[in-house]
Amino acid sequence: MDFQGIHDRLRAIGAPGLVGADEPRQGDPKDKKDKGRAGDPFVLVDPQRLTDFLRVCRDDERLCFEMLVDLTATDPAKDQAHLWVNVQLLSLRHRQRLAIKCLLEKAAPRLPTTVPVYRASQWHERECAEMFGITFEGHPDPRNVLLPADWVGHPLRKDYQYPKEYHGISCE
Amino acid sequence: MSDTHTASGLGGDARVLRSGEREFTLDVRTQDMEINFGPQHPATHGVMRILIRADGELVTGAQPHLGYLHRCAEKIGESVEWLQYLPYTDRYDYLAAMNNNLGYSMAVEAVMGIAIPRRAELIRIICAELNRIGSHLIAVGTYGMDIGAFTPFLYMFREREWMMALFEKICGARLTYSYIRIGGLFNDAPPGWFEEVALFCDTFEAKWPEYYDLLIVNKIFVKRTANVGVIPGRVCLDFGLTGPILRGSGVDWDLRRDMPYSLYGEIWRDGAFQVPVARGEMGTVGDCWDRTWVRMREMQESIRIVRWCLAHIEEGPVMAEIPKILKVPKGEAYVGIENPRGELGHYVVSDGEKMAVRVRVRGPSFCNVAVLEDVLPGALVADAVAIIGSTDIVMGETDR
Repeated sequence: MDFQGIHDRLRAIGAPGLVGADEPRQGDPKDKKDKGRAGDPFVLVDPQRLTDFLRVCRDDERLCFEMLVDLTATDPAKDQAHLWVNVQLLSLRHRQRLAIKCLLEKAAPRLPTTVPVYRASQWHERECAEMFGITFEGHPDPRNVLLPADWVGHPLRKDYQYPKEYHGISCE
Repeated sequence: MSDTHTASGLGGDARVLRSGEREFTLDVRTQDMEINFGPQHPATHGVMRILIRADGELVTGAQPHLGYLHRCAEKIGESVEWLQYLPYTDRYDYLAAMNNNLGYSMAVEAVMGIAIPRRAELIRIICAELNRIGSHLIAVGTYGMDIGAFTPFLYMFREREWMMALFEKICGARLTYSYIRIGGLFNDAPPGWFEEVALFCDTFEAKWPEYYDLLIVNKIFVKRTANVGVIPGRVCLDFGLTGPILRGSGVDWDLRRDMPYSLYGEIWRDGAFQVPVARGEMGTVGDCWDRTWVRMREMQESIRIVRWCLAHIEEGPVMAEIPKILKVPKGEAYVGIENPRGELGHYVVSDGEKMAVRVRVRGPSFCNVAVLEDVLPGALVADAVAIIGSTDIVMGETDR
Protein backbone atom coordinates (compact mmCIF):
# COMPACT_ATOMS: atom_id res chain seq x y z
CA MET A 1 0.00 0.00 0.00
CA ASP A 2 1.21 3.50 -0.70
CA PHE A 3 0.71 6.36 1.73
CA GLN A 4 -2.67 7.27 0.24
CA GLY A 5 -3.85 3.68 0.71
CA ILE A 6 -2.70 3.60 4.32
CA HIS A 7 -4.39 6.92 5.04
CA ASP A 8 -7.64 5.73 3.44
CA ARG A 9 -7.52 2.54 5.46
CA LEU A 10 -6.92 4.47 8.69
CA ARG A 11 -9.94 6.63 7.93
CA ALA A 12 -12.08 3.67 6.96
CA ILE A 13 -11.48 1.86 10.24
CA GLY A 14 -11.84 5.10 12.21
CA ALA A 15 -8.37 5.03 13.73
CA PRO A 16 -8.59 6.86 17.08
CA GLY A 17 -6.94 10.26 17.19
CA LEU A 18 -6.29 10.59 13.45
CA VAL A 19 -6.28 14.31 12.67
CA GLY A 20 -5.14 14.45 9.08
CA ALA A 21 -2.33 13.88 6.64
CA ASP A 22 0.45 16.01 5.26
CA GLU A 23 1.96 15.21 1.90
CA PRO A 24 4.86 16.86 0.13
CA ARG A 25 3.75 19.44 -2.41
CA GLN A 26 5.14 21.89 -4.90
CA GLY A 27 5.25 25.53 -3.93
CA ASP A 28 2.82 28.02 -5.40
CA PRO A 29 4.64 29.81 -8.26
CA LYS A 30 2.46 32.92 -7.81
CA ASP A 31 3.20 33.20 -4.10
CA LYS A 32 6.94 33.62 -3.48
CA LYS A 33 6.61 32.84 0.21
CA ASP A 34 4.98 29.46 -0.41
CA LYS A 35 7.90 27.19 -1.23
CA GLY A 36 5.98 23.95 -0.72
CA ARG A 37 7.35 21.01 1.22
CA ALA A 38 9.69 18.22 0.19
CA GLY A 39 10.29 14.76 1.61
CA ASP A 40 7.98 12.13 3.06
CA PRO A 41 4.25 12.21 3.77
CA PHE A 42 3.05 11.66 7.32
CA VAL A 43 -0.19 11.43 9.28
CA LEU A 44 -1.06 13.82 12.07
CA VAL A 45 -2.35 12.24 15.27
CA ASP A 46 -3.69 13.61 18.53
CA PRO A 47 -0.91 12.89 21.09
CA GLN A 48 -3.38 12.04 23.85
CA ARG A 49 -4.71 9.16 21.73
CA LEU A 50 -1.41 8.10 20.21
CA THR A 51 -1.28 4.85 22.16
CA ASP A 52 -4.70 3.76 20.90
CA PHE A 53 -3.76 4.83 17.39
CA LEU A 54 -0.59 2.73 17.49
CA ARG A 55 -2.53 -0.25 18.78
CA VAL A 56 -4.85 -0.06 15.79
CA CYS A 57 -1.90 0.29 13.42
CA ARG A 58 -0.30 -2.79 14.91
CA ASP A 59 -3.38 -5.00 15.08
CA ASP A 60 -5.24 -4.14 11.87
CA GLU A 61 -4.83 -6.89 9.28
CA ARG A 62 -4.29 -4.60 6.33
CA LEU A 63 -1.89 -2.25 8.13
CA CYS A 64 -0.03 -4.68 10.37
CA PHE A 65 2.77 -2.41 11.57
CA GLU A 66 4.61 -4.96 13.67
CA MET A 67 7.56 -2.77 14.51
CA LEU A 68 8.02 0.66 15.99
CA VAL A 69 11.29 1.68 14.41
CA ASP A 70 11.71 5.06 15.98
CA LEU A 71 10.04 7.44 18.37
CA THR A 72 11.52 10.86 18.77
CA ALA A 73 10.63 14.49 19.13
CA THR A 74 11.48 17.70 17.34
CA ASP A 75 11.53 21.29 18.48
CA PRO A 76 10.81 23.08 15.20
CA ALA A 77 11.71 26.59 16.34
CA LYS A 78 12.06 28.80 19.40
CA ASP A 79 8.91 30.80 18.64
CA GLN A 80 6.68 27.82 17.89
CA ALA A 81 4.13 26.81 20.47
CA HIS A 82 4.35 23.11 19.72
CA LEU A 83 6.83 20.28 19.91
CA TRP A 84 6.49 17.38 17.49
CA VAL A 85 6.51 13.77 18.51
CA ASN A 86 7.62 11.69 15.52
CA VAL A 87 6.98 7.98 15.24
CA GLN A 88 8.17 5.70 12.45
CA LEU A 89 6.34 2.42 12.01
CA LEU A 90 7.36 -0.48 9.83
CA SER A 91 5.31 -3.36 8.52
CA LEU A 92 7.40 -6.36 7.62
CA ARG A 93 4.46 -8.23 6.16
CA HIS A 94 3.34 -5.48 3.80
CA ARG A 95 6.75 -3.87 3.34
CA GLN A 96 5.55 -0.39 4.13
CA ARG A 97 6.40 2.44 6.47
CA LEU A 98 4.25 5.03 8.17
CA ALA A 99 5.44 8.30 9.62
CA ILE A 100 3.33 9.78 12.41
CA LYS A 101 3.53 13.26 13.82
CA CYS A 102 1.84 14.60 16.94
CA LEU A 103 1.76 18.25 17.88
CA LEU A 104 2.37 18.67 21.58
CA GLU A 105 2.00 21.98 23.38
CA LYS A 106 5.30 23.24 24.74
CA ALA A 107 3.56 24.66 27.78
CA ALA A 108 2.44 21.23 28.98
CA PRO A 109 4.26 18.50 27.04
CA ARG A 110 2.55 15.38 28.39
CA LEU A 111 1.18 12.32 26.68
CA PRO A 112 0.43 8.75 27.71
CA THR A 113 3.22 6.24 27.25
CA THR A 114 3.19 3.94 24.22
CA VAL A 115 5.16 1.17 25.93
CA PRO A 116 2.07 -1.06 26.38
CA VAL A 117 1.83 -1.33 22.59
CA TYR A 118 5.49 -1.47 21.57
CA ARG A 119 8.17 -2.21 24.11
CA ALA A 120 10.62 -0.69 21.63
CA SER A 121 9.48 2.76 22.64
CA GLN A 122 10.64 2.34 26.22
CA TRP A 123 14.15 3.69 25.65
CA HIS A 124 13.08 6.11 22.94
CA GLU A 125 10.63 7.70 25.34
CA ARG A 126 13.28 7.95 28.02
CA GLU A 127 15.50 9.75 25.54
CA CYS A 128 12.67 12.09 24.48
CA ALA A 129 11.90 12.86 28.10
CA GLU A 130 15.43 13.92 28.96
CA MET A 131 16.17 15.71 25.70
CA PHE A 132 12.86 17.56 25.29
CA GLY A 133 11.25 17.56 28.71
CA ILE A 134 8.28 15.54 27.56
CA THR A 135 6.48 13.54 30.22
CA PHE A 136 5.25 10.12 29.19
CA GLU A 137 2.55 9.31 31.70
CA GLY A 138 2.73 5.77 33.02
CA HIS A 139 6.20 5.01 31.69
CA PRO A 140 7.55 1.97 33.57
CA ASP A 141 11.10 3.29 33.98
CA PRO A 142 11.29 7.07 33.59
CA ARG A 143 15.00 7.51 34.33
CA ASN A 144 17.41 9.37 32.08
CA VAL A 145 19.02 7.08 29.54
CA LEU A 146 21.91 9.07 28.07
CA LEU A 147 22.28 12.08 30.37
CA PRO A 148 23.31 11.97 34.01
CA ALA A 149 20.41 11.90 36.44
CA ASP A 150 21.15 15.40 37.72
CA TRP A 151 21.44 17.13 34.35
CA VAL A 152 19.70 20.51 34.24
CA GLY A 153 17.60 21.43 31.21
CA HIS A 154 16.59 19.63 28.06
CA PRO A 155 19.41 19.88 25.50
CA LEU A 156 17.47 19.43 22.26
CA ARG A 157 15.00 22.20 23.04
CA LYS A 158 15.81 25.24 20.96
CA ASP A 159 15.75 27.48 24.03
CA TYR A 160 18.28 25.33 25.88
CA GLN A 161 20.83 27.24 27.93
CA TYR A 162 24.27 25.67 27.85
CA PRO A 163 25.54 25.00 31.37
CA LYS A 164 28.37 27.12 32.73
CA GLU A 165 29.72 24.36 34.89
CA TYR A 166 29.00 20.78 35.87
CA HIS A 167 30.07 19.57 39.33
CA GLY A 168 32.81 22.13 39.49
CA ILE A 169 34.05 21.44 35.95
CA SER A 170 33.96 24.59 33.88
CA CYS A 171 32.14 24.24 30.58
CA GLU A 172 33.17 27.58 29.11
CA MET B 1 21.05 -5.36 48.08
CA SER B 2 17.69 -6.97 48.05
CA ASP B 3 16.15 -9.34 50.47
CA THR B 4 17.47 -12.77 51.23
CA HIS B 5 15.47 -15.67 49.89
CA THR B 6 15.34 -18.41 52.42
CA ALA B 7 14.27 -21.91 51.96
CA SER B 8 13.44 -23.73 55.15
CA GLY B 9 17.10 -24.50 55.60
CA LEU B 10 20.08 -25.51 53.51
CA GLY B 11 19.05 -28.35 51.30
CA GLY B 12 15.54 -28.04 52.64
CA ASP B 13 12.30 -27.42 50.79
CA ALA B 14 12.48 -26.63 47.14
CA ARG B 15 11.80 -23.02 46.25
CA VAL B 16 10.62 -21.88 42.85
CA LEU B 17 12.43 -18.90 41.44
CA ARG B 18 10.75 -16.98 38.71
CA SER B 19 12.84 -15.07 36.25
CA GLY B 20 11.11 -13.61 33.25
CA GLU B 21 9.05 -16.39 31.77
CA ARG B 22 11.31 -19.10 33.09
CA GLU B 23 11.07 -20.97 36.36
CA PHE B 24 13.84 -22.60 38.30
CA THR B 25 13.69 -24.78 41.32
CA LEU B 26 16.27 -24.18 44.01
CA ASP B 27 16.70 -25.98 47.27
CA VAL B 28 19.54 -24.02 48.81
CA ARG B 29 19.72 -20.77 50.69
CA THR B 30 20.61 -18.01 48.26
CA GLN B 31 21.02 -14.30 48.30
CA ASP B 32 20.60 -11.67 45.64
CA MET B 33 23.78 -9.96 44.72
CA GLU B 34 24.39 -6.96 42.50
CA ILE B 35 27.34 -7.12 40.17
CA ASN B 36 28.67 -4.18 38.21
CA PHE B 37 29.53 -5.35 34.76
CA GLY B 38 31.57 -2.55 33.22
CA PRO B 39 31.80 0.33 32.40
CA GLN B 40 35.38 -0.69 31.70
CA HIS B 41 35.02 -4.30 30.73
CA PRO B 42 36.42 -5.79 27.53
CA ALA B 43 33.22 -7.70 26.81
CA THR B 44 31.06 -4.59 26.70
CA HIS B 45 32.94 -3.47 23.56
CA GLY B 46 33.19 0.08 24.72
CA VAL B 47 31.96 1.79 27.82
CA MET B 48 28.70 0.38 29.02
CA ARG B 49 27.74 -0.56 32.52
CA ILE B 50 25.26 -3.29 33.19
CA LEU B 51 24.00 -3.70 36.68
CA ILE B 52 23.41 -7.41 36.99
CA ARG B 53 21.41 -8.88 39.84
CA ALA B 54 22.36 -12.44 40.41
CA ASP B 55 20.96 -15.12 42.61
CA GLY B 56 23.85 -17.54 42.86
CA GLU B 57 24.84 -18.27 39.29
CA LEU B 58 21.52 -17.12 37.91
CA VAL B 59 20.92 -13.65 36.54
CA THR B 60 17.63 -12.33 37.90
CA GLY B 61 17.82 -8.78 36.64
CA ALA B 62 19.87 -6.61 34.33
CA GLN B 63 19.87 -2.88 33.91
CA PRO B 64 22.07 -1.33 31.21
CA HIS B 65 23.41 2.14 31.96
CA LEU B 66 24.54 4.09 28.93
CA GLY B 67 25.66 7.56 28.13
CA TYR B 68 29.37 7.28 28.85
CA LEU B 69 30.11 8.02 25.20
CA HIS B 70 27.37 10.56 24.59
CA ARG B 71 28.75 13.26 22.30
CA CYS B 72 25.56 15.17 21.51
CA ALA B 73 25.54 14.12 17.85
CA GLU B 74 21.94 15.23 17.36
CA LYS B 75 22.56 18.63 18.92
CA ILE B 76 25.63 19.10 16.73
CA GLY B 77 23.50 18.21 13.72
CA GLU B 78 21.40 21.29 14.39
CA SER B 79 24.37 23.58 14.89
CA VAL B 80 26.52 22.91 11.82
CA GLU B 81 25.84 23.07 8.09
CA TRP B 82 24.45 20.05 6.29
CA LEU B 83 27.74 18.90 4.84
CA GLN B 84 29.73 19.72 7.96
CA TYR B 85 27.74 17.15 9.90
CA LEU B 86 29.01 14.31 7.71
CA PRO B 87 32.23 13.67 9.70
CA TYR B 88 30.15 13.27 12.86
CA THR B 89 28.24 10.43 11.26
CA ASP B 90 31.52 8.50 11.02
CA ARG B 91 31.70 8.52 14.74
CA TYR B 92 28.57 6.80 15.83
CA ASP B 93 29.10 3.34 14.48
CA TYR B 94 32.83 3.68 13.98
CA LEU B 95 33.12 0.13 12.67
CA ALA B 96 30.82 0.90 9.76
CA ALA B 97 31.46 4.54 8.97
CA MET B 98 30.79 4.12 5.24
CA ASN B 99 27.29 2.90 5.99
CA ASN B 100 26.68 5.83 8.31
CA ASN B 101 27.82 8.27 5.62
CA LEU B 102 25.47 6.56 3.23
CA GLY B 103 22.51 6.71 5.60
CA TYR B 104 22.91 10.41 6.32
CA SER B 105 23.61 11.34 2.71
CA MET B 106 20.57 9.42 1.52
CA ALA B 107 18.32 11.13 4.06
CA VAL B 108 19.45 14.59 2.94
CA GLU B 109 19.17 13.54 -0.70
CA ALA B 110 15.63 12.35 -0.02
CA VAL B 111 14.62 15.84 1.07
CA MET B 112 16.55 17.47 -1.78
CA GLY B 113 15.13 15.00 -4.28
CA ILE B 114 18.33 14.60 -6.26
CA ALA B 115 19.46 11.61 -8.29
CA ILE B 116 22.93 10.16 -7.90
CA PRO B 117 25.14 9.18 -10.86
CA ARG B 118 25.25 5.46 -11.44
CA ARG B 119 29.00 5.16 -10.98
CA ALA B 120 28.69 6.84 -7.60
CA GLU B 121 25.93 4.42 -6.57
CA LEU B 122 28.06 1.45 -7.56
CA ILE B 123 31.12 2.65 -5.66
CA ARG B 124 28.87 3.50 -2.69
CA ILE B 125 27.60 -0.06 -2.57
CA ILE B 126 31.10 -1.51 -2.94
CA CYS B 127 32.28 0.60 -0.01
CA ALA B 128 29.22 -0.11 2.12
CA GLU B 129 29.52 -3.85 1.58
CA LEU B 130 33.27 -3.92 2.17
CA ASN B 131 32.63 -2.02 5.36
CA ARG B 132 29.96 -4.54 6.31
CA ILE B 133 32.52 -7.31 5.91
CA GLY B 134 34.97 -5.39 8.08
CA SER B 135 32.35 -4.76 10.71
CA HIS B 136 31.20 -8.37 10.80
CA LEU B 137 34.83 -9.53 10.98
CA ILE B 138 35.23 -7.51 14.17
CA ALA B 139 31.88 -8.66 15.49
CA VAL B 140 32.64 -12.34 14.99
CA GLY B 141 36.31 -12.04 15.93
CA THR B 142 35.80 -10.18 19.17
CA TYR B 143 32.86 -12.39 20.01
CA GLY B 144 35.13 -15.41 19.74
CA MET B 145 37.59 -13.67 22.01
CA ASP B 146 34.87 -12.80 24.52
CA ILE B 147 34.20 -16.44 25.09
CA GLY B 148 37.72 -17.70 24.91
CA ALA B 149 38.75 -18.24 21.28
CA PHE B 150 41.65 -15.89 20.75
CA THR B 151 43.10 -17.16 17.46
CA PRO B 152 40.20 -16.35 15.08
CA PHE B 153 40.32 -12.78 16.37
CA LEU B 154 43.81 -12.32 14.92
CA TYR B 155 42.84 -13.71 11.53
CA MET B 156 39.77 -11.50 11.40
CA PHE B 157 41.82 -8.42 12.16
CA ARG B 158 44.30 -9.37 9.47
CA GLU B 159 41.55 -9.48 6.85
CA ARG B 160 40.03 -6.26 8.11
CA GLU B 161 43.41 -4.59 7.82
CA TRP B 162 43.34 -5.23 4.09
CA MET B 163 39.85 -3.78 3.86
CA MET B 164 41.01 -0.66 5.70
CA ALA B 165 43.99 -0.36 3.37
CA LEU B 166 41.55 -0.36 0.46
CA PHE B 167 39.60 2.46 2.07
CA GLU B 168 42.81 4.34 2.81
CA LYS B 169 43.59 4.23 -0.88
CA ILE B 170 40.21 5.54 -1.91
CA CYS B 171 39.76 8.30 0.65
CA GLY B 172 42.86 8.60 2.81
CA ALA B 173 41.26 7.54 6.08
CA ARG B 174 41.24 4.18 7.77
CA LEU B 175 38.33 4.47 10.12
CA THR B 176 36.45 7.74 9.75
CA TYR B 177 36.00 8.05 6.02
CA SER B 178 33.48 10.83 5.25
CA TYR B 179 33.82 9.48 1.73
CA ILE B 180 30.19 9.12 0.72
CA ARG B 181 28.99 12.68 0.40
CA ILE B 182 25.61 14.27 -0.10
CA GLY B 183 25.12 14.00 -3.85
CA GLY B 184 27.71 11.34 -4.56
CA LEU B 185 31.27 10.67 -3.51
CA PHE B 186 34.24 12.68 -2.33
CA ASN B 187 36.30 11.57 -5.34
CA ASP B 188 36.65 8.80 -7.88
CA ALA B 189 38.44 5.55 -7.14
CA PRO B 190 42.19 5.64 -7.90
CA PRO B 191 43.53 3.59 -10.85
CA GLY B 192 43.82 -0.11 -10.10
CA TRP B 193 41.49 0.10 -7.09
CA PHE B 194 38.77 -2.10 -8.52
CA GLU B 195 41.29 -4.80 -9.42
CA GLU B 196 42.54 -4.76 -5.87
CA VAL B 197 39.00 -5.04 -4.53
CA ALA B 198 38.48 -8.03 -6.80
CA LEU B 199 41.67 -9.58 -5.45
CA PHE B 200 40.46 -9.00 -1.89
CA CYS B 201 37.15 -10.67 -2.73
CA ASP B 202 38.87 -13.72 -4.22
CA THR B 203 41.31 -14.07 -1.37
CA PHE B 204 38.76 -13.52 1.35
CA GLU B 205 36.24 -15.87 -0.18
CA ALA B 206 38.85 -18.62 -0.37
CA LYS B 207 39.74 -18.12 3.30
CA TRP B 208 36.16 -17.83 4.53
CA PRO B 209 35.62 -21.61 4.99
CA GLU B 210 38.73 -21.77 7.18
CA TYR B 211 37.33 -19.18 9.55
CA TYR B 212 33.98 -20.86 9.51
CA ASP B 213 35.58 -24.14 10.56
CA LEU B 214 37.93 -22.50 13.01
CA LEU B 215 35.25 -20.70 14.98
CA ILE B 216 31.63 -21.14 13.97
CA VAL B 217 31.43 -24.93 13.94
CA ASN B 218 34.13 -25.37 16.55
CA LYS B 219 32.74 -27.74 19.17
CA ILE B 220 33.62 -25.52 22.13
CA PHE B 221 32.14 -22.46 20.44
CA VAL B 222 28.92 -24.31 19.67
CA LYS B 223 28.62 -25.53 23.25
CA ARG B 224 29.15 -22.02 24.54
CA THR B 225 26.59 -20.38 22.23
CA ALA B 226 23.93 -22.85 21.10
CA ASN B 227 20.68 -22.58 23.08
CA VAL B 228 22.10 -19.60 24.94
CA GLY B 229 20.36 -16.24 24.99
CA VAL B 230 17.42 -17.21 22.82
CA ILE B 231 15.50 -14.20 21.52
CA PRO B 232 12.22 -15.28 19.89
CA GLY B 233 11.14 -13.52 16.70
CA ARG B 234 8.11 -11.87 18.30
CA VAL B 235 10.33 -10.32 20.99
CA CYS B 236 12.55 -8.93 18.21
CA LEU B 237 9.57 -7.23 16.60
CA ASP B 238 8.29 -5.92 19.92
CA PHE B 239 11.67 -4.43 20.83
CA GLY B 240 12.39 -3.14 17.35
CA LEU B 241 15.49 -5.27 16.90
CA THR B 242 16.89 -5.27 13.40
CA GLY B 243 19.76 -6.61 11.38
CA PRO B 244 21.54 -9.89 12.13
CA ILE B 245 19.70 -10.22 15.46
CA LEU B 246 16.34 -10.19 13.69
CA ARG B 247 17.49 -12.63 11.02
CA GLY B 248 19.20 -14.70 13.69
CA SER B 249 15.77 -15.09 15.26
CA GLY B 250 14.37 -16.53 12.07
CA VAL B 251 12.62 -13.41 10.76
CA ASP B 252 13.26 -13.11 7.05
CA TRP B 253 13.80 -9.36 6.71
CA ASP B 254 16.51 -7.35 5.07
CA LEU B 255 15.98 -3.75 3.99
CA ARG B 256 18.31 -4.23 1.04
CA ARG B 257 15.90 -6.76 -0.39
CA ASP B 258 12.53 -5.85 1.08
CA MET B 259 12.61 -2.07 0.81
CA PRO B 260 15.42 -1.67 -1.69
CA TYR B 261 17.37 1.55 -1.86
CA SER B 262 20.23 2.64 -4.08
CA LEU B 263 20.81 -0.21 -6.60
CA TYR B 264 20.04 -3.09 -4.26
CA GLY B 265 16.71 -3.78 -5.95
CA GLU B 266 18.47 -4.34 -9.25
CA ILE B 267 21.15 -6.50 -7.65
CA TRP B 268 18.51 -8.61 -5.93
CA ARG B 269 16.50 -9.08 -9.14
CA ASP B 270 19.72 -10.22 -10.77
CA GLY B 271 19.90 -12.93 -8.11
CA ALA B 272 23.30 -11.69 -6.98
CA PHE B 273 22.74 -12.15 -3.27
CA GLN B 274 20.66 -14.02 -0.73
CA VAL B 275 19.48 -13.15 2.73
CA PRO B 276 20.73 -15.69 5.26
CA VAL B 277 18.11 -16.45 7.89
CA ALA B 278 18.86 -18.63 10.89
CA ARG B 279 17.19 -22.00 11.19
CA GLY B 280 18.42 -23.05 14.60
CA GLU B 281 20.88 -25.55 13.18
CA MET B 282 22.81 -26.04 16.39
CA GLY B 283 20.09 -25.44 18.92
CA THR B 284 17.12 -23.11 19.13
CA VAL B 285 16.26 -20.46 16.57
CA GLY B 286 17.41 -17.12 17.94
CA ASP B 287 20.30 -18.28 20.08
CA CYS B 288 23.76 -16.73 20.15
CA TRP B 289 25.10 -19.23 17.65
CA ASP B 290 22.45 -18.30 15.11
CA ARG B 291 23.26 -14.62 15.30
CA THR B 292 26.94 -15.28 14.77
CA TRP B 293 26.20 -17.64 11.92
CA VAL B 294 24.10 -14.96 10.19
CA ARG B 295 26.98 -12.47 10.42
CA MET B 296 29.40 -15.00 9.07
CA ARG B 297 27.16 -15.86 6.12
CA GLU B 298 26.44 -12.22 5.39
CA MET B 299 30.10 -11.67 4.67
CA GLN B 300 29.83 -14.16 1.82
CA GLU B 301 26.78 -12.39 0.45
CA SER B 302 28.53 -9.03 0.68
CA ILE B 303 31.36 -10.42 -1.42
CA ARG B 304 28.82 -11.44 -4.05
CA ILE B 305 27.27 -7.96 -4.06
CA VAL B 306 30.70 -6.36 -4.43
CA ARG B 307 31.44 -8.69 -7.34
CA TRP B 308 28.21 -7.72 -9.05
CA CYS B 309 29.11 -4.04 -8.73
CA LEU B 310 32.61 -4.65 -10.05
CA ALA B 311 31.15 -6.41 -13.06
CA HIS B 312 28.72 -3.58 -13.75
CA ILE B 313 30.99 -0.63 -13.06
CA GLU B 314 30.80 2.07 -15.66
CA GLU B 315 32.49 5.35 -16.39
CA GLY B 316 30.88 8.62 -15.48
CA PRO B 317 30.77 11.35 -12.88
CA VAL B 318 30.76 10.48 -9.18
CA MET B 319 29.01 13.60 -7.96
CA ALA B 320 25.64 15.04 -8.80
CA GLU B 321 25.59 18.73 -9.59
CA ILE B 322 24.84 20.43 -6.31
CA PRO B 323 25.86 23.87 -5.03
CA LYS B 324 28.96 24.25 -2.83
CA ILE B 325 26.92 25.51 0.10
CA LEU B 326 23.97 23.19 0.39
CA LYS B 327 20.53 24.59 0.81
CA VAL B 328 18.06 21.87 1.53
CA PRO B 329 14.44 22.72 0.70
CA LYS B 330 11.85 22.86 3.44
CA GLY B 331 10.72 19.38 4.29
CA GLU B 332 11.43 16.26 6.26
CA ALA B 333 12.30 12.67 5.50
CA TYR B 334 13.11 9.44 7.26
CA VAL B 335 15.49 7.05 5.53
CA GLY B 336 16.40 3.70 7.00
CA ILE B 337 19.20 1.61 5.56
CA GLU B 338 20.57 -1.80 6.43
CA ASN B 339 23.68 -1.21 8.48
CA PRO B 340 25.80 -4.15 9.68
CA ARG B 341 24.00 -3.87 13.02
CA GLY B 342 20.50 -3.27 11.74
CA GLU B 343 18.41 -0.42 10.55
CA LEU B 344 20.20 2.90 10.72
CA GLY B 345 17.54 5.56 10.45
CA HIS B 346 18.05 9.24 9.84
CA TYR B 347 15.13 11.57 10.32
CA VAL B 348 16.05 14.99 9.02
CA VAL B 349 13.96 18.15 9.13
CA SER B 350 14.84 21.21 7.10
CA ASP B 351 13.28 24.64 7.04
CA GLY B 352 15.16 25.68 3.93
CA GLU B 353 18.16 27.16 5.70
CA LYS B 354 21.85 26.24 5.75
CA MET B 355 21.47 24.17 8.89
CA ALA B 356 19.12 21.38 9.87
CA VAL B 357 16.23 21.86 12.25
CA ARG B 358 16.60 18.30 13.43
CA VAL B 359 18.89 15.40 12.68
CA ARG B 360 17.63 12.35 14.44
CA VAL B 361 19.78 9.25 14.43
CA ARG B 362 18.07 5.96 15.05
CA GLY B 363 21.07 3.81 15.83
CA PRO B 364 20.42 0.08 15.60
CA SER B 365 22.65 -0.64 18.60
CA PHE B 366 20.56 1.65 20.80
CA CYS B 367 17.49 -0.46 20.14
CA ASN B 368 19.34 -3.75 20.17
CA VAL B 369 20.92 -3.16 23.56
CA ALA B 370 17.51 -2.54 25.13
CA VAL B 371 16.66 -6.22 24.77
CA LEU B 372 19.35 -7.15 27.31
CA GLU B 373 16.94 -6.15 30.07
CA ASP B 374 14.68 -8.88 28.81
CA VAL B 375 17.04 -11.60 27.65
CA LEU B 376 19.66 -11.61 30.42
CA PRO B 377 17.35 -12.56 33.30
CA GLY B 378 17.22 -16.31 33.50
CA ALA B 379 20.67 -16.81 32.01
CA LEU B 380 23.72 -17.94 33.89
CA VAL B 381 26.21 -15.28 34.88
CA ALA B 382 28.83 -17.02 32.76
CA ASP B 383 26.53 -16.76 29.75
CA ALA B 384 25.97 -13.04 30.23
CA VAL B 385 29.18 -12.27 28.37
CA ALA B 386 28.17 -14.61 25.56
CA ILE B 387 24.78 -12.93 25.22
CA ILE B 388 26.08 -9.37 25.35
CA GLY B 389 28.77 -10.19 22.81
CA SER B 390 26.27 -11.79 20.44
CA THR B 391 24.19 -8.61 20.23
CA ASP B 392 27.26 -6.91 18.73
CA ILE B 393 26.73 -3.43 20.07
CA VAL B 394 28.91 -0.44 19.32
CA MET B 395 28.71 2.01 22.15
CA GLY B 396 29.48 4.98 19.93
CA GLU B 397 26.13 4.34 18.33
CA THR B 398 24.03 3.64 21.40
CA ASP B 399 25.21 6.85 23.02
CA ARG B 400 25.76 8.98 19.90
